[in-house]
Amino acid sequence: MKPAPFRLERPRTIADACSLLMQDGAKAMAGGQSLGPMLNLRLAAPDLVVDLGGIAELRRAWSEPGCEVYGALVTHADVEDGRVPDVGENILRRVAGGIAYRAVRNRGTMGGSLFHADPAADWVNALSALSAEVEIAGPEGRRRLALADFLTGALSTALGCGEILVAIRVPHVQAGARFGYVKHCRKVGEFAHAVGAVLADPAAGTCRAVMGAIDAPPLVFADAAPLFGGAITEGFAARFDAAAAAAALAAAGVEDPVRRHMHAEVLRRAALQASALLPEKAAA
Amino acid sequence: MNAPLRHAGPTGLVTLTINGRSVAAEAEPRTHLADFLRDTLNLTGTHTGCEHGVCGACTVELDGEPARACLTFAAACQGAQVRTIEGLADDAVMAELRAAFNREHALQCGFCTPGMLVSARDLVLRLPEADERRIRLGLAGNLCRCTGYAGIVAAIASVITERRARGIPAATAERRLGPVGAHAGVDAIPSALVATASAAVPLVAQTVVDLADDFVPAHRFAQAFALAFPPEQVAALFADVEAVAACLPGAIIDSMPEPGFVRGGMRVTLGPISTTFRGTARVTQEGASGRIRGAGGDGRSSTQGEIAYRILPGAAPGTSRVELEVGYTLKGPLAQFSRPGLVREVAGRLIAAFARNLEARLSGRAVNPDDARGLSPLRLVLSLIADRLRRLFAPRA
Repeated sequence: MKPAPFRLERPRTIADACSLLMQDGAKAMAGGQSLGPMLNLRLAAPDLVVDLGGIAELRRAWSEPGCEVYGALVTHADVEDGRVPDVGENILRRVAGGIAYRAVRNRGTMGGSLFHADPAADWVNALSALSAEVEIAGPEGRRRLALADFLTGALSTALGCGEILVAIRVPHVQAGARFGYVKHCRKVGEFAHAVGAVLADPAAGTCRAVMGAIDAPPLVFADAAPLFGGAITEGFAARFDAAAAAAALAAAGVEDPVRRHMHAEVLRRAALQASALLPEKAAA
Repeated sequence: MNAPLRHAGPTGLVTLTINGRSVAAEAEPRTHLADFLRDTLNLTGTHTGCEHGVCGACTVELDGEPARACLTFAAACQGAQVRTIEGLADDAVMAELRAAFNREHALQCGFCTPGMLVSARDLVLRLPEADERRIRLGLAGNLCRCTGYAGIVAAIASVITERRARGIPAATAERRLGPVGAHAGVDAIPSALVATASAAVPLVAQTVVDLADDFVPAHRFAQAFALAFPPEQVAALFADVEAVAACLPGAIIDSMPEPGFVRGGMRVTLGPISTTFRGTARVTQEGASGRIRGAGGDGRSSTQGEIAYRILPGAAPGTSRVELEVGYTLKGPLAQFSRPGLVREVAGRLIAAFARNLEARLSGRAVNPDDARGLSPLRLVLSLIADRLRRLFAPRA
């Protein structure tokens, strides 16, 4: 239960972090809430841990036209407590408050969670539904990737040697759009067995949906209309087509019919939640 | 499983504020905060259970917020404020929680209790409107293998209800973005410090402690000694910190980073114990009186203390009398071993040697090397026996 020995570096700048991460056997750490258990269990045994916690530039959040930008070190608790602006009313806040436990949320970061790329993680799924984009810094300079292109597999990302994730851009949720987010856990705070996320705008007739925790990057439906009888209108959630969802899961490699049922049901509940959120939004 | 063998990582000095006092001690990069607290600083109130973030037994306050000590490497939180269950002994909310835990039978074996209390305190302060469901959600990250949750939830609920009745609102602290405990612009291991530290004390984990502002000594005693030199001359010598240290057996000065602030140590040899307390001291002097306040530790035991001195004219012209008032607190294994009476006797001997060395210095003679070397166990035991025998046979007043 003790990590294998490693060296620790705490760079102060992004450039220094990138050059340290060029070394073989180097691993970046943000809040350490995902890497920590893996180190303690000796599942991970890097020679060098590059602690990004000392880089002030990553501990910021700012607004840009059409989106909010979160530095990689913004924590789940920062979002939960409203220390950073949300992309809509109670969108990210709701997701953040359900991640793990408060003691973990106080250190766990949005960037670290995406970098860890656990398919069952909340940010991986919620931010996929919200069309987030990541900004990457590396020896070749900066680049941006859509989250779908960043997440290349379970626990793997498009980050190259010496690259770190520095910021996450999340588009503002349009007025009238509603966000449903449901996850299935047997115990509060554990990694989800199924995640469903729906961003629907019945007035505009659009809906984006995500089925997550399928041991692979989330299954994203940029146009989820086929899952709801072909059109997104008021009351779309009642027209959820579980068979269409199950077929998509089967095509994505989810072979167990019980798991397909669970994922489809969780998505149905997320759609219902998105519908039910309308009065709350209207009242506010 | 065929990973190449790796030697233990290099150790470095980790500097934290723990329970209000600044502490610096050696740690490997892989040492997590819970092990650092328990093994290096002997603060065993923080428990380690699963060591991978699930059970919550190691939950401590980091920069005022609950965090997993097992998922926080000590070297990655340089400069952070840490509060353990020991440091919450005098906290008002914790006093309410302790009473409620007692009343509601909220602890059985007690293993989860330190983490439960730290999490409970956060819930009480942050969520004054929490109902039973919200409390249970908030406690999901603290496991009780005795399954005593009913009592724990009832205890926390009663404190929240009671505080709500008193109209106490949620307490939210200003806080910057990013992981608690991770401070920007602080290196993992200042290499200059590592070199100094390992050169000074290579074997024992060393601890440097600052005296808390609200220090109240547990024990006090007074001592006095005479010197055959006028008060002005003695006062001038007392103003020279290095000269005074040279006269005090066992004293070591590592550095004086600012006037009146000394980093150093004290070699103490007592019975089977031979240790060096390292720490810091602040020295102030005004005319014929002054004060030395300091704190130190040897990695297991720690002490805090202050010495107030007055330099008065002696009975005969041209002589002086130095009066000392000593107040101190000793914690850790050494405190269990040592009794206040014993400390007073040791201090008496130390002060006698100090006085002899001052005399020698004032008269331009070399300081007796024996007296400057610290208390030797044999001399100490012999003189203790001699003292006891003298007292035994002394006529009763």
